[in-house]
Amino acid sequence: MGRAPRKQLDRGKGLDRRTLLIGGGAAAGLLLAWGAWPRTYAPNLAAGPTETIVNAFLKIDRSGQIIVVVPQTEMGQGVTTVLPQILADELGADWRTVAVQSAPISPLYANELLAREWLASDWTRLLGDAGRWAIDQYATRSALMLTGGGTSIPMFHDAYRDAGAAARVLLCKAAAARWSIPWESCDIQEGLISDGAQRRMKIGDVAGEAMAFDLPPILPYRQGQDGRLAGQDLARLDTPSKIDGTHNFAADVRLPDMVFASIRQGPIGDATLAGLDDRAASSVTGFLKLVKQDRWVAAVASNWWAANKALDLADPVFTLRGTAVSSEGIDAALEAAFSKSSGRRLYAQGDLEPVFDGATILASEYQVDAALHLAIEPPCATARVTEGGAEIWMATQAPGLARDAIADALGLSRDAVTLYPLHAGGSFGRAMDWDVGVQAAMIARDMGRPVQLLWSRLEDVIQDRPSAPARARMAAKVGRNGAIEGWLAKVAAPCAMTQTWARIADGKLPHEAAQDGAESANRLAVAGMVPPYAIPNWAIDHYPADVGLPLGFMRGNARLHGTFFTESFIDELAHLANIEPMSFRIQMLGGNPRLAHCLTTAAAMGGWQGGVAGSGQGMAAHMINGAYAAVMVEASMSGDRLSVGRIIAAVDAGDPVHPDIARQHIESGLVFGLAFATGASVSYAHGLPTRAILGRMNLPRLADIGEVSVEMIRSTADPAGTSDLVAPLMAPAIANALYTWTGQRIRSLPLVGTP
Amino acid sequence: MTKFTVNDRPVQYRMDPDTPLLWALRDASNLTGTKYGCGTGDCGACTVDIDGEAVRSCQLSIANAEGRFVTTVEALSPDRGHPLQQAFAADNVSQCGYCVPGVIMAASVLLRRNSNPTDEQIDAAITNICRCGIYPRLRGAIKRAGRIMRGEERIAAAPPPGITPEEAARSVPALGRSASPPKRQP
Repeated sequence: MGRAPRKQLDRGKGLDRRTLLIGGGAAAGLLLAWGAWPRTYAPNLAAGPTETIVNAFLKIDRSGQIIVVVPQTEMGQGVTTVLPQILADELGADWRTVAVQSAPISPLYANELLAREWLASDWTRLLGDAGRWAIDQYATRSALMLTGGGTSIPMFHDAYRDAGAAARVLLCKAAAARWSIPWESCDIQEGLISDGAQRRMKIGDVAGEAMAFDLPPILPYRQGQDGRLAGQDLARLDTPSKIDGTHNFAADVRLPDMVFASIRQGPIGDATLAGLDDRAASSVTGFLKLVKQDRWVAAVASNWWAANKALDLADPVFTLRGTAVSSEGIDAALEAAFSKSSGRRLYAQGDLEPVFDGATILASEYQVDAALHLAIEPPCATARVTEGGAEIWMATQAPGLARDAIADALGLSRDAVTLYPLHAGGSFGRAMDWDVGVQAAMIARDMGRPVQLLWSRLEDVIQDRPSAPARARMAAKVGRNGAIEGWLAKVAAPCAMTQTWARIADGKLPHEAAQDGAESANRLAVAGMVPPYAIPNWAIDHYPADVGLPLGFMRGNARLHGTFFTESFIDELAHLANIEPMSFRIQMLGGNPRLAHCLTTAAAMGGWQGGVAGSGQGMAAHMINGAYAAVMVEASMSGDRLSVGRIIAAVDAGDPVHPDIARQHIESGLVFGLAFATGASVSYAHGLPTRAILGRMNLPRLADIGEVSVEMIRSTADPAGTSDLVAPLMAPAIANALYTWTGQRIRSLPLVGTP
Repeated sequence: MTKFTVNDRPVQYRMDPDTPLLWALRDASNLTGTKYGCGTGDCGACTVDIDGEAVRSCQLSIANAEGRFVTTVEALSPDRGHPLQQAFAADNVSQCGYCVPGVIMAASVLLRRNSNPTDEQIDAAITNICRCGIYPRLRGAIKRAGRIMRGEERIAAAPPPGITPEEAARSVPALGRSASPPKRQP
């Protein structure tokens, strides 16, 4: 089946042909033009003797191997397949010749899209384009390489297509020169350059000389659908090593003379090391040393279990300043936030006051607990520090910031620190923080030999930086015809993304970062809460808080709580208005046909019975940055046990580059969202979580997953990020389903108590 | 003390006998395909085959492994040719891949006993925790592996390791002129 040609994107960045050509004549040091403010960045890709650097995203080996360079962190989302696929499609490569390599740290790979989302403040927004430009410049100049928020494909799609197109033109020119024909008659398919007739030449045969040619002023994209790789379910490049156990995660690195370390960082908050039992630790076979810092202690041994056992025996004692975090304290801080003067109206439309004045208002209060990441790979880093500098092997979603933090901690220049980016075993936002890399480097320096630091699961649960706990006061006025005339959402929550930034970019300690953000309202804390529905008067208020628990970047971020509030409350209003919940939504989605289509598709696939009592069916829908989704579930309760029998998702996320990986994102998000709805959180007392056993977090296992149906709606729109899309929809969909089953409205997450 | 067989080789670990098998495999034998996820026997990332049983290697001390036969994911097949490995590739199961070796080891024990398991039997055998959510594809892939074992289906989804550039060039027209140095004569 043919694919409709993708429409040309608006290229606001003003890329010119020199941007694409940074490798040609590398000895001469070609310059890179960058947007409206030309700056020069030398490419820092390493190349073997038979490799030609085409540009920042591509090397070609004389043998014909296509080596695509990817700055984004592979966490299972398939980015090390999809970005190479975009390039290989435009180049005309044979997929079997495509390899992928992690990018070095360079301004060329800055993720301006996520930086804008993260750093846009009121003043940059007021400045409009100039504000955006300022953030972009900041992101670029500080080599702000970031992975998260589903931004990788929207951010880099064009760059990889352009890199592939530039390479194709240059290779065609080189082949055409050999054949003495015009280059325009040449084409590349399956890695072979053709002259438009019978002659063929391998890419690798002319790769070395291709860089001597110039690019045309306007870069031509491939025409035609023959042999295209985009839109195909190609083999993931990371699959072979993941099925035979050879995929190297940070804990799988083995260096000569390397030893193993485990760490304790005390309770949550402003904790410092007070004392420990040195002698007990030294009784462990294989124990080598305790490495002490102000805020942590690590034991080093010839194997990790011995190191961890030595720590247990050393039984370190910490002094905690300030209030110890507790669940009651978190609740109280959120409640108190509503009466603080720092609350602000961040989004509004129309005028709520006259609508609400003297009217009957439906009001509901919701609460969401902090949710843990619980990636199966705990934080880990391997480090070697010598007089010549430091080398760190770790998975990080912010490699530039991690490298800078390690350099600062060791007192080294940034150039003296080499960070080898590894793939993450899950992460889900956890690897935005770089503490484990800094700690590993400091221990390695102390030991004078390579060290692998692995956090125990206990340490991971204590020192996780969960998603924000949040409380909402929702209020609405519904008119006689069932139309919502006014909508007000007041949300008390810390801003987890602001805290994360303060830690990873400004080096704040976790408790400092939490305190610093306690007085400023922030749009990131209520992201996605602008209702997608046509409501004439609405407002979203944020009341900031410090709950004493440092919080972090998470799959879905603030949408995890925001979507629960919005989509649960909409369901309440539908039942109040006595209108079937899907029609209730659809009647307000006249201006949003893509979201309406997702809803009707999910309902049709799932056999939607109209949300009637006893059906056990519930739905939820929303959109994120050009991606639309609706989820329908069938859920039931028997005693305290919740079971979700069927999950149906309908998604419109544009025309995906790799449809099956997009589908994996959706399946993955549904399961992640189920865990968020039913567990993945703990209670806190005396500065510690009250439990840390992974088996007691209500995480779904295979037996908990019934029928899962995913419909990817065909679209010709540009591909949107899908990794964060559906996870936030599961909690409201299940809560809405349980309302029809039990008649009880559950307004807090997790929906059920953990065992 | 603590002598047993790992991947068909006799081993003796000079470690504290209380050391869980997981850490002997990972840190002494460098068999890093077996993963640490929780240390409490919950996640199953450390699952290995011991005498035909799926065992969470973080829960068994090397003292208690005395005399037994341990098989890790590294020895499941020499060439990624195990039906489960091929089925996982064909169905695009893995995401981050961290839990996958443990899942494959648990499933391999199941299929050796019963190459045609029901959903309920699969659910009972695979109690591993996966946070990426490979579950929706998991039963299908395990059943597909069962069909391969029963000879009802043949797939070649993931290539074996160790293909030389010369071999690759023979089947991929775009490849040629090897970049690697010429092979040394034996």
